[in-house]
Amino acid sequence: MATAAATGMQAAADSAHDPEKWEPVFRQDHAQNLSMQRIVCPERDDWRDTAETSGFDFHTIDGERYWDERGYYAFTLEEIERQIEAPTGEIDAMCLELVGKVVGSEDYLGRLKIPESFWPLIAQSWERDEGSLYGRLDLSFDGHGPAKLLEYNADTPTSIFEAAVFQWGWLEQSIERRIIPKHADQFNSIHERLIEAWKKLSAAHDADPQGRVSAKGEPVFRTSHAPDDKPGRTGDRALVHLHLTGTTENSEDFGTLAYLEDTAIQAGLATTLIDIEDIGWRDDGGFVDLDNRDITFAFKLYPWEWMFRDAFGARLAEAPTRWIEPPWKAVLSNKGILPLLWEMFPGHPNLLPAYFEDDARAEGLGASYVRKPIYSREGANVALVSGGVALAQQEGPYGGEGFIRQAFAPLRNFSGQYPVLGSWLVDHTPCGLSIREDESPITGNNSRFLPHAIL
Amino acid sequence: MKRSRRVALTMMGTATIGAVSMGFARRRNCGPGETAVAGIDGRPYCRGVAYGGFGGTLHHFHGHGHGHGGGHGHGHGGGHGHAGGGG
Repeated sequence: MATAAATGMQAAADSAHDPEKWEPVFRQDHAQNLSMQRIVCPERDDWRDTAETSGFDFHTIDGERYWDERGYYAFTLEEIERQIEAPTGEIDAMCLELVGKVVGSEDYLGRLKIPESFWPLIAQSWERDEGSLYGRLDLSFDGHGPAKLLEYNADTPTSIFEAAVFQWGWLEQSIERRIIPKHADQFNSIHERLIEAWKKLSAAHDADPQGRVSAKGEPVFRTSHAPDDKPGRTGDRALVHLHLTGTTENSEDFGTLAYLEDTAIQAGLATTLIDIEDIGWRDDGGFVDLDNRDITFAFKLYPWEWMFRDAFGARLAEAPTRWIEPPWKAVLSNKGILPLLWEMFPGHPNLLPAYFEDDARAEGLGASYVRKPIYSREGANVALVSGGVALAQQEGPYGGEGFIRQAFAPLRNFSGQYPVLGSWLVDHTPCGLSIREDESPITGNNSRFLPHAIL
Repeated sequence: MKRSRRVALTMMGTATIGAVSMGFARRRNCGPGETAVAGIDGRPYCRGVAYGGFGGTLHHFHGHGHGHGGGHGHGHGGGHGHAGGGG
C-alpha cells in the first residue's frame, strides 16, 4: 500500500503540482472572473420539511442554522479537478506513505503520543491492508493559490449525509426552481461510491474472515458463537453482517450512522446499529451485540483514541473484529501528522509548514501561527496566534498530549465569512466537496454548512 | 462532468425518526441525569452522566457469563466472568 501510495504521489506531483504549470490556469480564471465565488441566493421555502422528511433533523442547532442555503459557493470545473480533486488524491497518497513509515517506527509512534500498548494493533491492521471506507481533508482554498491541508479527518468524519445527499437534493431542486443555473453541476459522487466501497470491504472481509491473528499469535474465528449455534458467519455467505456503532444519543452521530447503514444495506449487507456502550464481551473472547451476535465486521463512529482509552480498549487486540475505520487510521487522525508530512514532503505546495511545539524549528514560524492540540476535533482548543498573542481560540478539552504549530494560512474572507473546504475520499478516491463557513477564521462547531455548485 | 447519479435512500428517513424527538433545545439544558459533553464533531450534546463508552457499562451481560439475574440481558453491576466496565 505504501509503495503504491508513493508511486501515485510521485506521478501526481509530476503532473498536477508544478506551480509553473498552474500559473496560466489562475490567470485565465481571474480574467474570466470565474474563480471560487460565494453567491447569495434564495432558499427553498420548504427545505426544512425536506430535511426532516429525509432524516436530516440536525439542520438547526441551538436555534442557529447549521444547514444554510441562503448562499452557495461556486467553482469552475477546472478548479474542482485541478485544485481540489487532484491534490486531495495526492495528499491522501502522501498520508498513506507516512503511515507506512510511522507504523514501523517507535520514534514516530512516540511523537504522535499513541499509547504503546496499541502499536501492535495499529501495525497489524496496516500490514493486513485493512481497508478504509472514507475520510475528509479540510483544506484552505481561496481560488488564488494551491489548496492547503489544514487537517485530515481520517477516523470519524461527520457531515457526510448533508454532503452526499442533502446537498445533492439542493442542487437538483435549485435547478428545477431556477434558483441556480440549469447547467450547474456538483462535485459529488459520495453516495454511490460508499455503496461500492461497502461491497469491496465486505467482499474482502468475506474472503478472509479468519485472517486476523490474536495478540497471542493464534488465529481467530475458529469457532462460532452465534446464539443459534449455527456457523458464525459462514452459514449465509450472501449476507455479511455489519455492525455500526457510536454514541447514538447524539443525533448527528446517529444520523451519520443511519445514513451509512442505509448505504451498507444498499450494498447488500445485513446490519445492526448499536450504541458503543451496549457492546458486550464474551467470556471466551470477542465482542457481541445485545443479541449475542458476534461482532466480526464493525463500522465505528467513535475515535480510536477514545477506543484506546475506554474500558474495552484492552480487549481490542484479542478480539477478532475487523474495524472500519481500521486501527491504522489512528495515525492519520492525529494532528501530529502535519509536522511529519512537512518533514517528509518539505515545501509541498498543498502542505503548510508545521512542527511539533517542542521542536526548536517551530520558532522558525515566527510569532504568528496556528496552535493545535495533537488530539483535537472541529477546532477545539485551536488557537490563532498573531504576534505572539492568541487572537482567536476555540474552547475545548484537548491539549494534554501536546501541541503542534502550523503556519497560518489565512482563509479568504467572503463577505465576512471564512469557508473551509471539506474534500471527501471514499476508498481513497476523491469524490465530493462540502463547505463549512464561519464568521471566525477558526472553523468551529458553530460553523454552517453551505452547498456548492460547479458553474 | 462531476455530476452524481440520483441517490436513493431506503432507510434514512425512518431510521432517524427517533432522533427527531430529542430536539435541539436540550443541548445546553440537559435533563435530569444528563450532562452536556462534546461529541466527535465538537458540538455539545446531552448524554447520561453514567454513560461509559466502549465497555464502560457494568449492567450489560452478554454471552455465556453469569451476571446477576441471569447470564443474558440486563442486570446490576458486578457480573461475574464478564468484562464490563472494569474490563
